[in-house]
Amino acid sequence: METNQWIKSVKLVCVMLITVPLLTGCWDQLEIDERAVVLGVSIDVAGEDAEQEESEVGHVQGAVPAPRSGMVRVGVQIALPGRIPLGPGEGGGSQEDSQQTVWVIEVVGHSINDAFMNLQQQISSKLFFGHLRVIVISEALAKKGLENVNDYFRRNSEVRRMAWMMISKGHAMGLMRAAPKLERMPTLYLMSTLDEGINLGRFPKDYLGIFWSNTSKKGQEGFLPYVEMKKEQNVEIMGLAYFKNNRMVGVTKPLEIAGYLGLKGVNPAGYSAVINLEGMDESVMTNVTQRGSKFDLQIKNGLPHFTIDVNLEVNLEEKMNDEQLIDNTETIKSIDRKQEEVSEKFYKDIIRKTQEKGSDIFGFGEYVRAKKPGYWNKRIKTKENWQRMYKDATFDVNVTVNVRRIGMKAK
Amino acid sequence: MEEQRQITVIQTAAILVSTIIGVGVLPLPLFAVRAGESAAPLVTLFGMAVASIGLVLITWLGMRFSNKTIIQYSEDIIGKWAARLGSLLIIVFFAVLTSLTAREFGEVVVTSVLKSTPVEVTVIVMLLLAAISTRNTITTFAYIHHFYFPLLLVPILLIAFLSFKNAEVINLQPIFGNDLKGIMMGTMTIAALFQGSFILTMVIPSMRKPEKAMLASFWGMLIAGGLYLLIVVAAVSVFGAEEIKNLLWPTLELAKATSLPANILERLDAAVLAVWVTAVFTTLLSSYFFTIYAITQLFRLADHKMFSFFLLPFVFIMAMLPQNIVQMYDIIENVGRIGLYITIGYPGLLFMISILRKKRGNQNGDESMDKIG
Repeated sequence: METNQWIKSVKLVCVMLITVPLLTGCWDQLEIDERAVVLGVSIDVAGEDAEQEESEVGHVQGAVPAPRSGMVRVGVQIALPGRIPLGPGEGGGSQEDSQQTVWVIEVVGHSINDAFMNLQQQISSKLFFGHLRVIVISEALAKKGLENVNDYFRRNSEVRRMAWMMISKGHAMGLMRAAPKLERMPTLYLMSTLDEGINLGRFPKDYLGIFWSNTSKKGQEGFLPYVEMKKEQNVEIMGLAYFKNNRMVGVTKPLEIAGYLGLKGVNPAGYSAVINLEGMDESVMTNVTQRGSKFDLQIKNGLPHFTIDVNLEVNLEEKMNDEQLIDNTETIKSIDRKQEEVSEKFYKDIIRKTQEKGSDIFGFGEYVRAKKPGYWNKRIKTKENWQRMYKDATFDVNVTVNVRRIGMKAK
Repeated sequence: MEEQRQITVIQTAAILVSTIIGVGVLPLPLFAVRAGESAAPLVTLFGMAVASIGLVLITWLGMRFSNKTIIQYSEDIIGKWAARLGSLLIIVFFAVLTSLTAREFGEVVVTSVLKSTPVEVTVIVMLLLAAISTRNTITTFAYIHHFYFPLLLVPILLIAFLSFKNAEVINLQPIFGNDLKGIMMGTMTIAALFQGSFILTMVIPSMRKPEKAMLASFWGMLIAGGLYLLIVVAAVSVFGAEEIKNLLWPTLELAKATSLPANILERLDAAVLAVWVTAVFTTLLSSYFFTIYAITQLFRLADHKMFSFFLLPFVFIMAMLPQNIVQMYDIIENVGRIGLYITIGYPGLLFMISILRKKRGNQNGDESMDKIG
């Protein structure tokens, strides 16, 4: 009886001993306050004397030649855990500048990772990219090519595909330091500018992951939002920066984003346009509420020919003066016709613009690949060939506009 | 065979599904896309068809010899020594499969979640877990699979359907692909992902109604194959074939790009990995169980428990052999394809000979059968 009890207690001790190694926690424990949570990253081209400025972390000075695309200047925005006011009651909106909720640091490096390693050497906590929401890249760097940037962020397992990547006019670093009034965190403001853009129908869904997918596709090129910081530290979406492979080749005008959205038939719709009525100085402004588009592909003379039918549902929003009353169907029909005419030309212009650069951001090539595989296999097959052929492809655009409502005013 | 025959048809189907769905789901779209680009779903379907042939063969054999496993009835069919050689090959193959599964699991975990944990630790923890669980009887084994089955089904369905929000149909076209060169190879690679279904031959002798084994394998294949197809369709339609070629684990990337409605969770990869661990566990459990069960029967022992820890060091060392992740995937693809000779070719051979020699396990006593061999 007694030995039995003894055995029992030994067994118990053994079981408890087994759990001991488990209690030490895991190798990967990293407390939240030991992490440097990176919210935003800006990447610029570093100047001539950057090599002198660089500390010798990834390599000793002079050992590695500066890469072909030049050195980079990376800025990061790190969240300061205690400083971020949570919830209301702490004086909604930030009256202070961004420096108080985030910490902005900049470093130079030969490559993106090299720069991050230089940065890691300077701060105590481990850089954590799990909450990275915005990557801002300067126009100059984008024109040199994004191979390195895309490779690094694709390889990193922490980065989310729902983050935004954008191209800034001028230096990207400025956007990291900006302190917009509406949000407490500058990057969150940048992000919500674009996210709201989607909701308001002013910008296509173009998350990092979608950009990557489009860039990879054989019959399509990627594009990114092109932004500029304004005087009041607000951010304007200036257009679409479109790419050829990994290199930025051009920018559209802001209104041409609407052209892209219309051609792709993206909903919800949200752009307004000024329409000049026939034979008068009268102008009205209409707002698109619903878009629809249909591609039709034919092979004509050995080249792809697209017929694009765009369908716009429109509300009248504003009339500039009083000469013409909006009170009969004829007038409305004439607005329809006028806008159809204007839009057709507008859409064709955008397509022509991208054709000149050989950058098919609409994915017409994907359409050829999907619908005419025989033709694709015989004549195109590679991305390079499509980039060449896109310039020769022909397009017909037919637009149907229907003004449906005229607001609360009766005439 | 003294055990009670307790395993039901549903349990058998659950065993098949949770055995088939395992580590393979993460690189699956990559394998399929490498083979056929936009024809990836078609490649998956072909792979499923090839795997079904193998499964039908072993189910038929199992029903013909409903009291015996493949280790036992192969002796009746092709004679003692030839059969022993065959059984040895099967055992070695499944031991290798177990180790590769464990290693692949370890690589995923170390790359994406536990970056500073040594890969040896994740592998050995998983193997230990499997080894301990194999010390149960086959009935408990069936219960374990049955229990985890819904846990495996729901998240995969959830991700697939949520991600269809971002899908573009054009990515799936043309459904016959632009380039058909790689389709044969790819079909075999995908078929190899279904090899876990071989566990059925161990389960049939313990089924309550072995005559319904065909029904179980039909449902098992349909659900597992359906899930595979769904994952491939979702991944290809969201990313497009070319982008998938850039991704080592497209399914994980899919989970990263998918968010629950209303931003409850903005990325699902952590949740998916958690569930995927159970999926890997059930797969590992099956191949481990198969290996030791087969060894037991080859040596005509009664108890399989003693082998569960005996095997551990061998499996572990084999798991550590691949030098890097690229080499590991080369090995996995090659071993998988070679394995098809064992999991489809060998049963096919047995099946033909058993018909030619008019062997049947059910009517006659087992003793008389042994003599002939």
